Amino acid sequence: MGMHPLYLFLDPYLIRFYRLTAVAWVDFLLGTLVVAVLALLVGEFTSALASLVVRPHLDQVAGEARKYHELSLKALQAGDRPAYEAADKLAKDAFSKSFFMQLAFSATFFWPVFFALGWMQTRFLQLEFPLPGTGFSLGYISAFILLYIPAYLVFKRVIHKLPFGRLKGILNTYRRGQAME
Amino acid sequence: MRTRRLTVIGPLAALALLAALILVHPAAAGKLEEAIAQTPTGAGPGLINPSASPGFMGIPGAPSHFWLWYILWGVWVGWIFSSVGAFGGIMAGVGHISVFGLSDYAATFKKTSPTLNKMLTDSIRTSNQYLVGLSALISSFTYYRMGRLVLPLGLCLAIGGLLAGYVVPLLTVGKLDVSLYVGFFGIIVFAVAFVLFYETTPRGQESRKAARAAAKAFEDAHIKKIPEYQVGKIDTRALGVRVTGWSPTKVSFTFYGAEFSFNPLWPILGGFVINGISAFIGVGGGFLYVPFLTSVAGLPMFIVAGTSALAVLVGMIINIFNMMVVRAVPVDFLLIFTELIGIAIGSVLGPMTSKKIPEIWLKRLFIVLAIYVGIGYLTKGFMGKSIFPGM
Repeated sequence: MGMHPLYLFLDPYLIRFYRLTAVAWVDFLLGTLVVAVLALLVGEFTSALASLVVRPHLDQVAGEARKYHELSLKALQAGDRPAYEAADKLAKDAFSKSFFMQLAFSATFFWPVFFALGWMQTRFLQLEFPLPGTGFSLGYISAFILLYIPAYLVFKRVIHKLPFGRLKGILNTYRRGQAME
Repeated sequence: MRTRRLTVIGPLAALALLAALILVHPAAAGKLEEAIAQTPTGAGPGLINPSASPGFMGIPGAPSHFWLWYILWGVWVGWIFSSVGAFGGIMAGVGHISVFGLSDYAATFKKTSPTLNKMLTDSIRTSNQYLVGLSALISSFTYYRMGRLVLPLGLCLAIGGLLAGYVVPLLTVGKLDVSLYVGFFGIIVFAVAFVLFYETTPRGQESRKAARAAAKAFEDAHIKKIPEYQVGKIDTRALGVRVTGWSPTKVSFTFYGAEFSFNPLWPILGGFVINGISAFIGVGGGFLYVPFLTSVAGLPMFIVAGTSALAVLVGMIINIFNMMVVRAVPVDFLLIFTELIGIAIGSVLGPMTSKKIPEIWLKRLFIVLAIYVGIGYLTKGFMGKSIFPGM
């Protein structure tokens, strides 16, 4: 498969991560892990930037959903079925709006994943990574996803300790301050 | 509640992971190359010109556009998602089918290379599937944070969804002609147009107004009488879901002291149909769970939302793995990547512009667009030629 000029430009840099040891399967796992972490970092950064603009609006719509949800629960507790159904309907409408906004917003976080998979497709399309003792093998997509998920879980735990995470915290505080004014 | 959530999430996540690993077998990576090699070479339609520059999926001579067009289309899709909602998924599909000329290109191989024709169809719907996958992931996360779970409901949805995730690709991958796919896509567009239309009718608007009035009346009569310092102290978690009875025809549970019940057949059927649509068309699946279960089965929204999200996530994992790994459907990640950049930009622009345009006018605009696209695809898919231009 031919390479897109953008991939051609980045390929010499990305492929270095696949040549860290002399053992092929270790190189593949290490390289894919590095690419997954890079995709995670870039996605987190662009998502944080976009959230400066969008987050107040997202929070407002989500807040409306939460408000009617809580109202519906209180109506249910009070035994007022018509009020419960009315509040539940409004919660559903607000939630639907919030859901689609979040779906579109998720692209600010996930786009590097598909960029990385596109590059891996040009490099490792034919690759089969055998799972020892099972007779099955992983393709490049499965390997990427299975490394990306734990990388994400670890990243979420340590982000506040990183300089980038602290910057995000400062930006969030600044935004909340603006919202209060 | 936490234990109960884990009881549901644990087995479902394990099932998804198990499926991800077990379904992985040596992918037919050379499948596309084989299909290209079997196609007659030449310069005309339905032929592969090996000296032409590579386009979609690296196929020589396939449609290829300047990258900015993919981004601009993505901006349009992202803007619709964040201002109108569900129609964004439809527009993503319209981009793949019409704007980027993939269905017309695939149709040229109908006689010269049916394998390539069907492989391109599968690739288009798998590309659409990624958006559904993202929606499932986001919904699972959001619902999980604010939802409630009903174990029997989750199981019934998952059974239906898993069944569809297995059966639909089995029956359709490599067998679906692009024209037929476009026709079915047109039917889904009409369904979305109908929902949008209902929301703009006086009846649809009235029911919303009535709901708002009833909610406000309850709020005035009860909530505002509670001192503010006490509102935050009500422990709502202690009043969650309690399953009170299981039987093949009726599952009962209480939620905040009120009793609810449903026939398990509905969520199984709903799970099957909704995930079936996701697997078949690539769009129009996951977001249907909540309206289906609240409207048809009459269940409270937040119970349905929290529970169905897990079923959607499991169904999505099965669908994508089944399409991409077991059936080895190739996709153009570069196309999806550039579209996602546009969607990301659109998601920022949507909230900035939506305050300035009344929602009802946006919906009316998209009803007209949906009717145009729906009729265009139905006639193109089932009669061979669209009666509208640009389809």
